[in-house]
Amino acid sequence: MATGALAIVAAIEAPSAFGNTSWSYVLPYATVLAIAALGQMLVVMHGGIDLSTPGVIALGGNLIAGICGGSDHRLWLAIPACLGAGVLVGLTNGIFVGIIGLNPLIVTLAVGQIVLAWSSHYSQVAVTSHPEVPTALSSWATSKPLGVSAVFWAGLGITIVVALVLRYSTIGRHFQAVGANPRAAWIAGLRVRTHVVLAYTAAGALYAIAAVLLAGVSISIDPAFGSSYLLAPIAAVVIAGAALSGGLASATSTWVAALALTFLTQMLLIVGLSAAMQFVVFGAAILGGMVVSGDRIASLLGRWMRPARPVPRAAAGGHES
Amino acid sequence: MNGGKESHMTRKRPLLLALVLIVAALVAVAIAQGAGIGTAGLGSGPSGYVGKGGKMVGSGHGFGEVYKAPSSTLSHALFSAKLIPAPANARNISLAALGRSTKKVNYGLALKCWTNNVCKTGTGGKLTVAYVEGFGENVFRQMSKMEFILQALTYPKIGKIIYMSAHSNLNQAIADFKSVIAQKVSAIVTYPDFGDAMIPVFQQATKAGIPVSTYAWGYVTGPGKNYLTVVGENTCKLGKAFARVDNTQVGSGDIAFMGGFPGNPLSASWQKCEQNALKPSIHVIANDPTNWDPSKVQGIVAGILAKYPQLKGLSYEDSAFMAQGGYAAYKAAGIPYQGVFTYRTDETALGCLANKLKNRKLKIYYYTSGNPQIRVALTADMMKLNHDAKIPPTIVFPIKLQQQSKRNMCIKGYPQQASASSLIPLKLLHRMYP
Repeated sequence: MATGALAIVAAIEAPSAFGNTSWSYVLPYATVLAIAALGQMLVVMHGGIDLSTPGVIALGGNLIAGICGGSDHRLWLAIPACLGAGVLVGLTNGIFVGIIGLNPLIVTLAVGQIVLAWSSHYSQVAVTSHPEVPTALSSWATSKPLGVSAVFWAGLGITIVVALVLRYSTIGRHFQAVGANPRAAWIAGLRVRTHVVLAYTAAGALYAIAAVLLAGVSISIDPAFGSSYLLAPIAAVVIAGAALSGGLASATSTWVAALALTFLTQMLLIVGLSAAMQFVVFGAAILGGMVVSGDRIASLLGRWMRPARPVPRAAAGGHES
Repeated sequence: MNGGKESHMTRKRPLLLALVLIVAALVAVAIAQGAGIGTAGLGSGPSGYVGKGGKMVGSGHGFGEVYKAPSSTLSHALFSAKLIPAPANARNISLAALGRSTKKVNYGLALKCWTNNVCKTGTGGKLTVAYVEGFGENVFRQMSKMEFILQALTYPKIGKIIYMSAHSNLNQAIADFKSVIAQKVSAIVTYPDFGDAMIPVFQQATKAGIPVSTYAWGYVTGPGKNYLTVVGENTCKLGKAFARVDNTQVGSGDIAFMGGFPGNPLSASWQKCEQNALKPSIHVIANDPTNWDPSKVQGIVAGILAKYPQLKGLSYEDSAFMAQGGYAAYKAAGIPYQGVFTYRTDETALGCLANKLKNRKLKIYYYTSGNPQIRVALTADMMKLNHDAKIPPTIVFPIKLQQQSKRNMCIKGYPQQASASSLIPLKLLHRMYP
């Protein structure tokens, strides 16, 4: 609903936001945000939160540029190393939160800072001289099969896989059950801690995938690579209707929310609002998105439209024989 | 049933362990590539770029300094030996500072000081100098840090060098400043990222007899009173220089401005002066803050191109970001990377990109990043500290924009994000950024 409203406003105020030039930026960046948000969604489903996202994306991007050194020959090593780094960071978060039982906010913030520091050091010694992303990766990322960004197709594929696994596989259903009610899941014999560790590990892997895609569309790695992915993925997950206290979440809604957020940023730029007004409108849009997200509007409408419940006769004073 | 499950899990564990080990090994291999920076075998050499030397510019001496510098050093740092400040005392300080590039220093020690935030120079000197800044996490600042260290090593009286970065945190910046005052350092050079919010600590240091100088036009109100001096270029004149290029090269049509953090005085100054000096036929269709964040640059350029695909020109501070995010936006939009671009900095990346693209319609004009200005700031502090020299409140370098097609800012062997006008010797630069 929020995305639809946004599209109508854009069509009136900034029609060029629907042009090819605009989409050539919005689609790949929305995809990167969506993949990172999917990772965050897995964590949020278990009542956690992950602030290590910028760290993993920064390290991943730097590993791609650092290992390859501008050449395509070592891309086969760079991509698995990037994914491996994401898995390791996620696993570390998962062990601290799921097994040791520490607060996820503090753990992921601390781990994220350590990873960022490593990334910064690695960037200085291995990337600053040659920040270019290998041509094979950047050419693929800027290519447009069927007229649409290759990054978008890749992201769509990943989203479908995540959604299918969550909905139709045994592990996915177990995962949802643990997120919806960990106590009931434990009583039912499910390994709650293992699922929490799995959630953070899978999230780390998804952040690493986002890093590979972002490196491709950025063409070169800069010192601030990934820094904008601290709060945006959380915003996308919340706008998509997930509760930060845990529970069910939708991969499709998360994707649409990521698209809406990226599109909104682009639209505000095209409209030409001042920087201050852009922040105001962006903040208001997030609030608005949260208000209309989930089943709030549906349940409100349902309450209005439901016919008044007839008063039981017993309560009215009579006795049913 | 459960026993079956357990044995199934037990069979899976070695597989899981092996997977984790493989992943760890891959990451270790990757990270080991950049494990550290060695200082061995560097030897010693001139503290700054001296090239082939050439004739010495300037004459005279005073306050423990010689007012002469090699013309090659001046040409490298300022584009021309003539582009030194005009007022006599500002000129003398600049020549003395840049002339120190001929003095020999130990490169291994310089690198050690650069990698550690506190270091002893080994001279037994009693002075301690500090470079304190609000944000030090980019290549420009790290190169300035090295220029500061190299300059400090030319003074045997300096026995200790301290560096602090507040990581963009105002409270931390103020605490850092108070900390070096409490440590009774002899002199402070700073880039005041938080502007006038730093005035109270500047005044506190000045009151304690510690000279404070800023560089790269890190302007805080009250130079000469609240603090010793500010070194840099006149940013309003920079804006006018950008406008002159646009008036002749663009003629008419749409151009865009980009700046740093919203409302920062540096961007506001050149943008206002450029806007006022533009022909009426040139329209500034966008003025967006980028926070000096290259990933934001891509989104902003994409937004501008979406509405104005016929954009004729763009003015901004950081040329490297336009070689990264800016270029990526043009490429993604399928629009040729061309137009009249004016920049405040001269990072190698954009020059090398222009050389690669070979597009005659891509016209790049640039000024210097100004890393060596930190050397002038330290020398001003030292002249005040040692000999109570009269230091002018502003040391302003004249501006002359360079054209990429005539003066190539892509220097062979330089890191992509390094300023082409830095005075850091190449041998050292390669160790800083292998």
